[in-house]
Amino acid sequence: MGTEANGSCNDREGRLPLPIWFFVGVILLVYGLLVIVGQAFDKGTHAAQIGQPGYWWGAILAVAGVIFTALGLVIHRKQRC
Amino acid sequence: MGNKLKELRMGGVRGAACLTAFATAMVATSAVAGESAGTGVISLAPIDWIIVGLYFVAIVGIGLYLRKFTKTGEDFFMGGRKNSSWVAGLAFLSANLGALEILGWTGGTMKYGMFVSHWYWLGAIPAMLFLGLYMMPFYYSSKIHSVPGYLKLRFDERTRLLNAFSFAVMTLLMSGINLYLMALVFNVLLGWDWHVSMWVSAAAIGCYITLGGLMSAIFTEIVQFFLIWAGLFLVTILGVADLGGPAQVFANLDANMTTLWRTTASAANNGMGVTWMGLIMGLGFVLSFGYWTTDFLVVQRAFSSKDLRSARLTPITASFFKMALPFIVVGAGLVALQLTKNASGFEILPHPTTGKPWYDSALPMLIARYYPVGLVGLGITALLAGFMAGQAGNVSAFNTVWTYDIYKAVINKKASDAHLVWVGRVTTIIGILLSVATAYVAKQFDTIMDYIQAIFSWVNAPLFATMLLGMFWKRTTSRGAFWGLICGMVVSFGIWLLFYVDARYVFLDGSPIANPTLASILTLAENPSEMTRNLWQAVWGWVVCFGVTLIISLFTTPKPDSELVGLVKGLTVEDDGSVKVAWYGRPGFWAVVSLAVLIFLNIMFW
Repeated sequence: MGTEANGSCNDREGRLPLPIWFFVGVILLVYGLLVIVGQAFDKGTHAAQIGQPGYWWGAILAVAGVIFTALGLVIHRKQRC
Repeated sequence: MGNKLKELRMGGVRGAACLTAFATAMVATSAVAGESAGTGVISLAPIDWIIVGLYFVAIVGIGLYLRKFTKTGEDFFMGGRKNSSWVAGLAFLSANLGALEILGWTGGTMKYGMFVSHWYWLGAIPAMLFLGLYMMPFYYSSKIHSVPGYLKLRFDERTRLLNAFSFAVMTLLMSGINLYLMALVFNVLLGWDWHVSMWVSAAAIGCYITLGGLMSAIFTEIVQFFLIWAGLFLVTILGVADLGGPAQVFANLDANMTTLWRTTASAANNGMGVTWMGLIMGLGFVLSFGYWTTDFLVVQRAFSSKDLRSARLTPITASFFKMALPFIVVGAGLVALQLTKNASGFEILPHPTTGKPWYDSALPMLIARYYPVGLVGLGITALLAGFMAGQAGNVSAFNTVWTYDIYKAVINKKASDAHLVWVGRVTTIIGILLSVATAYVAKQFDTIMDYIQAIFSWVNAPLFATMLLGMFWKRTTSRGAFWGLICGMVVSFGIWLLFYVDARYVFLDGSPIANPTLASILTLAENPSEMTRNLWQAVWGWVVCFGVTLIISLFTTPKPDSELVGLVKGLTVEDDGSVKVAWYGRPGFWAVVSLAVLIFLNIMFW
């Protein structure tokens, strides 16, 4: 934003879309959180119970989501300015 | 300014129409799914439904967002040619990575074991590296829009049209198979209405491809790639843990199920019934190179790269991810195999039409076994994304080939860029409708991969011979290429027809229609398996195309060198700027690393 205010961005009209990594990040983050919530509501009726994968796998997805979202925003900022 | 406002308004109207159609379709799906609740093997909790629904919202939303960046033909058909090798590479891989393949080969692992890895390693990596290192300079430097476009520049219009029409038919067939199988899988597993799930996914794909073109397809393909790892890799992890560790995955299995090469000396020694010769010639050379180096569906993703170096790195980058996929597919298949042997209560479903064991249901049944609420939704979404991205890839490739290689080449040679974009959008919708129609035709076939192999054999295998000669032998003539391609396609199809009839029909007196000796001669094997026949029909299609092209070229006049600059080895400056970057940024370096990993994996599972 600061760079835009200084007028040094060469792409003010937003000709470049947000990088795909941003969308991947948001989707992984949202899905990671939903998977964690899902595990909390699971009644354990499925055939094999191995730990509670929804918690740790959901957390991995959410963390990956945050990283990709941040990566996407950083790349977009670099591309625009 | 006025035009811009009008454009925005039009985009808004189109977007609103898309969202309305999509919302209506989603409501219809929910209603139908609700009506048939309990008929599926897997039931979805509300959170699972939210995860599935969010996927539809995300992909249509991405299409709407990308609409304003899609104005020219380069934007719509080539994704603006602005992508890095990472983006193009993941899209390159994902265009091939459909749910069709994942389900098919997970089930295939239950039948053939580790042999399936050949389709990911031998059957992909050498061809991808060859494309990146040796063929991409000719494709990319000529700034063509499609593979048939290269044929036009290198040979002539009729060769381009021949390939464009055959490719268009092939992509529609593939798209239809994707749709049909998706509907079938979700009908059996979740109780979703066959027709509604097909039309809803088709509507969503139609929306985002029409709005954002190739860039939409690429974005959703990459989303699909991450969803597949997020939603399906855990199945293998949990399965291995359930069995008691990695060693138990291979325990008590015959060598033909746990090794790659040890049982290939004789076709009788392995379940697939193939020899090392058939594997190397049929899969590793003709089918693999035919698909990965000439199929526009995947090559189109490399064309969207921002420069030649990125384009060359595209398939090389993709090769690493391709080599990792057996950890999902083969891993899950071996887990399913062990579970069925261990009296664990795990069972695959009977095929809904034939009643035989339905190996393609192995992965969804593992999801049902291991996943809690939420993860079930993610697993189903990963499969859904795999089916839809596969279809979207076919449709985006179809609209490009139709628009540039058929419409502009034959119907309207003076069409403006804006008009071509409009044609591309209309073609997308028509392509979707034809795919739906094709889905009904696909119901006639009872196996998945055999059908795919057959189509590739007819189109891609001969085309690879044409491309190889065209790019690396400047003496190849237009007439030789055209008739070579025709002969190769006819021979490949003819052999397929011979085997097809042989396997299904007999004369009235009960004697076989085809001569068994002929089948043995053609496949170099006694009692050749269906897989062996598939591999060898591709080999013969390639050999005939290569031979005919070569012979006719020797007796006809080639194009002068001046017309072949940028298209043929020796007449093209292949500078991709690599000399200016560090060694670790060069395509050659990463190709060597990829090859080393491939060799290591083959030795490890020898």
